[in-house]
Amino acid sequence: MKISLQWLNKYVDLSDISAEKIADALPMIGLEVEEISTAGLIPLKNIVIGKILSFVPHANSDHLSVCRVDVGDGNMRQIVCGAKNFKANDIVPVALPGAIMPGGFEIKEAKMRGEVSQGMMCSGRELGLNDDHAGLLILTERNLPLGTPINDHFPKADTVFDISITANRGDCLSHIGVARDLAAFFGKQLKNPVAGVPRNAPDGNAKNEFLEVAIESPVCSLYNAWTVRGVKIAPSPEWMQRDLFAVGLRPINNVVDITNWVMMELGSPLHAFDAGTIGGNTIRIRQAKAGEKLKLLDGKECELSPDICVIADNEKPMVVAGVMGGENSGVSDATQNVVIEAAWFDPGSIRKTSRHIGVSTDSSTRYTRDVDPTLVAVAGARAAQLVCELAGGKIEGRQISVGKLPRADRAIEISGDFVRARCGYDVADAAIIDVFKRLGFSVEEKGGSAWSVFVPAFRPDVDRPIDLVEEFVRIYGTTTIPSAAIAAPVAPADDAPTAKFARKAASLLVGQGFAECVNYTLRSFAEIKKCHGEKMATALSLANPLTSDQSHVRPSLLPGLLDSLKLNLANHAEPRRLFEIGHVFRPDRTGAIREIIAVAFVILAAPTTRTWKPREKADFFFAKKLCLDIAAQAGIAEQRMVFAAANCAETPIWQEGRAAKATDRARALEIETGLIDAKHALECGIKETIVAGEILLTQDAFKTTAKRARFKAFSAFPPVSRDIALVVDENVPAGEIADRLRATANKATAKRFVVEKINCFDVYRGKGLPEGKKSLAFEIVFRSETKTLTDEEVGNVFSKILTDIERAANCTVRR
Amino acid sequence: MSEVKAAVASIKTRPEFEVFKAKISGSNGLLTAVKKTIGKLPQAEKPAAGKLINRAKQQVEEVFAEILARIEKSELAAKLGEPIDPTLPSPDDFAGMRHPLSQIREEMCGIFHRLGFTVAEGPELETEWFCFDALNTPANHPARDMQDTLFFPADTIAADAPKHADEAYLLRSHTSSVQIRAMLATKPPLRVVAPGRCFRRDTVDATHSANFHQIEGLWVDENVTLRDLKSVLDFFVREVFGHAAETRLRPSFFPFTEPSFEMDIRVPNLGALSNRWLEIMGCGLVDPKVFENVGIDPEKWSGLAFGIGIERIAMLVHGIDDIRHFYANDLRFLRQFA
Repeated sequence: MKISLQWLNKYVDLSDISAEKIADALPMIGLEVEEISTAGLIPLKNIVIGKILSFVPHANSDHLSVCRVDVGDGNMRQIVCGAKNFKANDIVPVALPGAIMPGGFEIKEAKMRGEVSQGMMCSGRELGLNDDHAGLLILTERNLPLGTPINDHFPKADTVFDISITANRGDCLSHIGVARDLAAFFGKQLKNPVAGVPRNAPDGNAKNEFLEVAIESPVCSLYNAWTVRGVKIAPSPEWMQRDLFAVGLRPINNVVDITNWVMMELGSPLHAFDAGTIGGNTIRIRQAKAGEKLKLLDGKECELSPDICVIADNEKPMVVAGVMGGENSGVSDATQNVVIEAAWFDPGSIRKTSRHIGVSTDSSTRYTRDVDPTLVAVAGARAAQLVCELAGGKIEGRQISVGKLPRADRAIEISGDFVRARCGYDVADAAIIDVFKRLGFSVEEKGGSAWSVFVPAFRPDVDRPIDLVEEFVRIYGTTTIPSAAIAAPVAPADDAPTAKFARKAASLLVGQGFAECVNYTLRSFAEIKKCHGEKMATALSLANPLTSDQSHVRPSLLPGLLDSLKLNLANHAEPRRLFEIGHVFRPDRTGAIREIIAVAFVILAAPTTRTWKPREKADFFFAKKLCLDIAAQAGIAEQRMVFAAANCAETPIWQEGRAAKATDRARALEIETGLIDAKHALECGIKETIVAGEILLTQDAFKTTAKRARFKAFSAFPPVSRDIALVVDENVPAGEIADRLRATANKATAKRFVVEKINCFDVYRGKGLPEGKKSLAFEIVFRSETKTLTDEEVGNVFSKILTDIERAANCTVRR
Repeated sequence: MSEVKAAVASIKTRPEFEVFKAKISGSNGLLTAVKKTIGKLPQAEKPAAGKLINRAKQQVEEVFAEILARIEKSELAAKLGEPIDPTLPSPDDFAGMRHPLSQIREEMCGIFHRLGFTVAEGPELETEWFCFDALNTPANHPARDMQDTLFFPADTIAADAPKHADEAYLLRSHTSSVQIRAMLATKPPLRVVAPGRCFRRDTVDATHSANFHQIEGLWVDENVTLRDLKSVLDFFVREVFGHAAETRLRPSFFPFTEPSFEMDIRVPNLGALSNRWLEIMGCGLVDPKVFENVGIDPEKWSGLAFGIGIERIAMLVHGIDDIRHFYANDLRFLRQFA
């Protein structure tokens, strides 16, 4: 909303306050100033009225002219000029040496391509007057005395504040509203602009025989109309045009300008009809019918529907209510009789309509912020009066007013103690009452510090005691709020377990040389399908994405990390290890989306940096260990995780035969780890082998509180170990054999002593073994809690294992 | 003896030494042989010869020790490898680091922790009720115009964001939704900060991002006042921007706080942004309607709330001019904050 300082001064005398001070005050009362600009001519020294006596083309230029200019001081001046829009004897503004242009540029006598130039003739833009830079500002028609200062002939410069109005302050979409707040803040008197009925309105109960109005829609609560006959459509007066220009509106004609001007003054939108176009002299406010169309004033054809309220006559819709008028009924140069509409429409309905038809106007912006309904009558009368004064018409019949006020003034019970309790500092009752009164509220004291505060309808946002506290603070000021010591609670709660886990996982990874990345949550369908399959991608779509590459939520952090890896490789930033912690989304078995805490990392198996001392390449088992370490940070022990080969048909991001998936029994935690599919990496532009892992935790993983560890006495006797090698089929996982071996060994010891450890320490293929077989060597460690085991005791158990294992597992003992 | 000494230099390994030792003092060794001859000597010569042999024995043992020491030294050298050049770079010379957004987030949480605020978390996939309605922003409220929100399809079920009624699912547009979940989960008094990721249906440019991060703060107790709000936020600003930082509370509007403010800061040492009022967060007292929506009695309890953009603070603190740097993960960027 553009607010003109000159215009504001009509309602509150701010002449003793500088524009800078006002600009500083506005944000502190909740009216954020987005831009301050100047409208009109700022005071300019040494810029005067001059006359171009004659001119010749510049000898050394094909676009410059050399002019002889008279500025009324008896000296002929020579000025070189690039403009083309003048003729001899034209009157123009002339900046003489010493003049400082609005941009700060100083005019000096100079030579231009060999010709002396004793000043500069100016365009509208060079003077900061308007945007016209097509040529000089020609003032010939105004017959101005030569040599007089340019400022003598233009209105004083105006300061224009472009204010961003918050959603609750519809009242400030007007000069009177902003003036009211400034008057309250600076402690000045507000001058209300209008009083009641237009001076030349007919008396008494004269009927309006020219127009009938019927409200047939719940969207409209109140509708006022004035008929003015015999108007002459012409440009509006200069002062009104100036005001409209200042707030960024284009003057059209006197009647339309009046409706706009009153809207900018009071905040209540108005509409003017050509009375001759109103079929049956009847205005019906009704819902549109399906199939109805209306060509709007901006030339666009609008398809109407029954959820849109229109202003219609007996035959046709004429206006999309509260938004924009139609071409069929607008004021034209030929208009003689006009109907001025002022009305109140339901804010929510106008917002819906405005969105539905994709048209937002000064009118709809105000209606959606809840226009003061008591202004409807005032604004209508004000406009009707101005039409009579400025367009020469006569009001015929009385004002028509249909409907009733949807809301009115209200009383709020409040006390000084309540205000002080919310503020937390001391302030006198009188100071609080003073603020309310300055805002135009009236206060009835009810004894003690209890008051009834009457809030007029122009402030629909002030409805409860707490709203009055806000009003008090806003005007009383926030700079005086004192500081206080902050009492911290004795027993604060603990941080969320997810937050604590993220911290621990991050420090573990940072300690291992991983750099943390942050990638976007929104990904494309194509990427998810490519990495985690079509089923996953389909389950994670948004309803209203902005772009197709941000249409889905991520099921994994890995594609983002591959992007980061690729970028850093391309930039020669020598990436090695990257990680990310964040939320990802995956459907569960029922199809419900789960929000999952994910930790993911990627490692370039062999670094791109050259080194004098090569290191072992990172591999699957490095990643597996890291995943388990991270899982342990969430309190999930390695023994609870069951590893199996990853299903790479389902999740193509993983390399077949080189990746694994693990879950705990409760499925609260999942691990996916291994090598990134080499083809996929290549398609991402990465030639190097990538080792990766992702740990996925549902909220369930954080629901159980960690049990305290209980001490168990450990054996004081030495362990005894025996080695066994088992030949199995190539495709049998070692973990499976280890499980069988443990069971067999436990059975063999028959609880006389314990099997402390089963450890696969060698995998052998090749010479001495049949094709398709491998040998797994295990170390079995026995220990007794009560004595030192003898060779014989262990030997007996071991030979039982040797005989039993071949039956327990599909294997042969290698002897 | 000279024979012994002559052989010494050629002995390099333990086996060689054992052979050599046997040759001298083994049962068939030279020295042993000489010892055996003593018995055959006349009684008178025996003491002198014994002395002589003892001396030889002593000398031999000294030589043995010398050889052994040399062998041990060379064995150790072989075990330890070449001496190091300490100026060579470590092949593992790559540092891990946290992302600047994480660093700032942790710093901010830490500051509020000292004031008794602990970390709460809530889902990014939220419901409309928690994100808007409960926060006093009903469907046709103008404030919903300000939020351009990303929604999920109508048939979506989100297991980790229980619904209030039958409202739609969306990606939360602010962390204020965590206020609601926190107040429903914990009876007052409570003080929480909720850091997290938020989303807007926005085109990405230097200052806008499809996702961004906020820290929400909420303090509910008896008699929480405007003065507390100012004190808490002033403390935060001074901890982050130093004691020369000035603050101001500029009245504003949010549906879920009343009164509402934007907090601006002015700091002398922020490069190009020095000595200018800069908006850094929205804040206010919890609107009584919000308390009613979560079943807290607004007559008894009052509260303050604030929402701070993490990117905004990180950009100000580090002088970063483009929000997209945070999401590109260029190591040349990340390493500057290691």
